[in-house]
Amino acid sequence: MKAKTKYTIVSIVSLITFILLWELLSQTGLVPTRKLPAPSALLDTFLYKLANKNPDGGTLGTHIATSMQEALLGFFFGIVIGVPLGICMAWFKKFDQFFRPLFDLIKPIPPVGWVPIMITFFGIGIMSKVAVIFIASFIPATINAYSGIKQTKDVHMWVAQTFGAKNKQVLFTVAIPSAAPMIFTGARVALNGSWVSLVAAELIASTKGLGYMIQTARLVGRIDVVFVGVLVIGVFGAIMMSTLSYLERKFVKGGRR
Amino acid sequence: MTKLRLTKSTSESLLYGFLGIIAFIIVWQLACLFTDFGKIFPTPLVSMRAFFLAFVKPIGRYTLLSHIAISLRRVLVGYALSSAAGVLIGLLMGYSKLAYAIIYPIFCIIRPIPGIAWIPLAILWIGIGESTIYFIIFMGGFSQMVMNTMDGAQNLNTELVGVAKVLGAQENQIFSKIVLPSTIPYIFTGLQTSLSTSWMAVLAAEMITAREGAGWLILAGMQTGRIENNVIGMISIGAVGLVLASLLRNLERRLCRWSVRSR
Repeated sequence: MKAKTKYTIVSIVSLITFILLWELLSQTGLVPTRKLPAPSALLDTFLYKLANKNPDGGTLGTHIATSMQEALLGFFFGIVIGVPLGICMAWFKKFDQFFRPLFDLIKPIPPVGWVPIMITFFGIGIMSKVAVIFIASFIPATINAYSGIKQTKDVHMWVAQTFGAKNKQVLFTVAIPSAAPMIFTGARVALNGSWVSLVAAELIASTKGLGYMIQTARLVGRIDVVFVGVLVIGVFGAIMMSTLSYLERKFVKGGRR
Repeated sequence: MTKLRLTKSTSESLLYGFLGIIAFIIVWQLACLFTDFGKIFPTPLVSMRAFFLAFVKPIGRYTLLSHIAISLRRVLVGYALSSAAGVLIGLLMGYSKLAYAIIYPIFCIIRPIPGIAWIPLAILWIGIGESTIYFIIFMGGFSQMVMNTMDGAQNLNTELVGVAKVLGAQENQIFSKIVLPSTIPYIFTGLQTSLSTSWMAVLAAEMITAREGAGWLILAGMQTGRIENNVIGMISIGAVGLVLASLLRNLERRLCRWSVRSR
């Protein structure tokens, strides 16, 4: 207990030293502010961006809302289609044999690689991002649902069959619940991938969103806005991930490990 | 008997897989012929021809293989640097509680930022060039390497350490004989995930800052309206990613035969 408090204090001191050092380096001009703005300046920029549309034509709020909307829509469709597909591929052999080669073809292509094609099809608006994120989350969702079902313990299924369960009942009452932890792992990987590819898609071509904000800020040389954008991207990624972990703890009972 | 069943099921799955691919190509062809899809997208045959042509005819300044080689070199440099740094810092944080207390809070600021989000900052800091791309790939894989290595070093079997201490092992012996070997499977997990993010980071970086490489190939395909280059780029990227991942998996199977995770 005592050691723990000691380490907590060390952590706090370390964080404060880090920020102070950063502030000092920037304030004294050892590192030019156009390369490294001070934390206090970043706070100012952050507050400024909350209400002002300079330099990229949108407040921080609109950019966050756009990015979140794109990420969550794509993620939602990816899960809604990927999970059932994975379950069907694992449960019905014919299904698996038919879809597997196609799936194996798409699987290794990084989601970022789809960005240009999606832009050609859907333009630079929200649809192309949703499509890219759909692919980014659909693939891990399918893979994890598949291996979750495949890892169902034979004994459990035998018990169900011995008690006269039909194939459908075995699937819904045994296989799917026991695959739930794997499915959630898939969702976590999917969400992470969505956020990464969203940023990439917005950097490459868009008119709104956090990625667009940092790209525009770079073009006009506003490094403070870039910094704020990058940090906000990190914070919102972390918020979404912890929301998902919370849901997982709530809905998946037992079965971890 | 078993052998017979086995061959039957493989040929069956080959047949269905073949049917799947054929169905896909037919749908592609029909879509090109009868819908607006064909106005922007090349037919399967055109794409195929473009793919083979790309081996001999340069797109931009290089042929397809040189583009891939350039991307590959970038990934390997960035990936090697990020893996080395990630393992070092991960081991340090996993092994020493003090180092963990000092570094972890600062690391937490960087960790959730995707490697790709560093692109604009990297350009402002370093300018446009090879080192920027290395930096982006580095940031893409770094935090995953740190997290995995740290996990490994923290999930140590404490009984083993106890035994070693009782038998009079020194601190550095415990580190090299117990901590390091039991972390290696975790390091390999980290290497796997970080390889795929590195591969993605190089694509994004090339799309934004480079004039050559597989990522550029795809983006230039879009900008010049030659979608077949786009398709070629995607196929080759997928193939190379697949080869890299399976090479790594083989290496892991060789090096960590004892570990349950690699089976």
